Amino acid sequence: MKIKLELFGASRDLSNKDYLEFNIDEKSSIKELRKKLINYVDDKFKGNYNFKKIIETSTFCSEDNNIVSDNYKIIKDKKIGIIPPIGGG
Amino acid sequence: MLHAKVIEIKKEKIEISRAEQFVASSKFGASIFFTGTVRDVNENKKVTGITYDSHDDLVIKSFEEIYKEVDEKLHIKDKAVFIEHVKGYVRLGEISIVIAVACPHRSEAYDLSRYIIEEIKKRSPIWKKEHYENEESEWLKGNPIQTN
Repeated sequence: MKIKLELFGASRDLSNKDYLEFNIDEKSSIKELRKKLINYVDDKFKGNYNFKKIIETSTFCSEDNNIVSDNYKIIKDKKIGIIPPIGGG
Repeated sequence: MLHAKVIEIKKEKIEISRAEQFVASSKFGASIFFTGTVRDVNENKKVTGITYDSHDDLVIKSFEEIYKEVDEKLHIKDKAVFIEHVKGYVRLGEISIVIAVACPHRSEAYDLSRYIIEEIKKRSPIWKKEHYENEESEWLKGNPIQTN
């Protein structure tokens, strides 16, 4: 299934768009999505260390605006947001 | 009483006068107005401006949660709270955040104002991209979001 990953903060440097799209197996977890992202950085950005670090330290949020754990299962056609380390104010 | 909003700077301005109007009430004897502004130097680099990014829905949700938990954590029931945070490019010296609080007494107003900004720093998904005099720019590292 195809999912849309919305990009925020430093993760915006991963694409010219506001999002990335991935094909993942149904009921994949956030942990698996994180691995997909790491693979994407390996392919597109020659394993850029800073990008990988952003992915490793990010949390994710569900379409209904809840921060979700690595075990969270992504159900059909979901929109997920990546939440890199924050620092507003 | 809470007002919480993310201000898209391309569409509207952030203004303290709105905060003053919101918290004004004869039942409150103390008001605190906090503004965050863009500072000229960070880590020895001359800053010209900051682009703020936010996950708007989660930011509003975090503001509402912070407001609600004040009853329990600070035991401040009677209060008015106004929070606005900018999204987009903010120049040097301009305002990025306004927090206005009003309470019956000054000690609780000071506590409340400080509590809100510290919790926003820890919990609200807002990001800064600093722009420098040499025309370079970079996202600030920040801290992994803390969840309750």
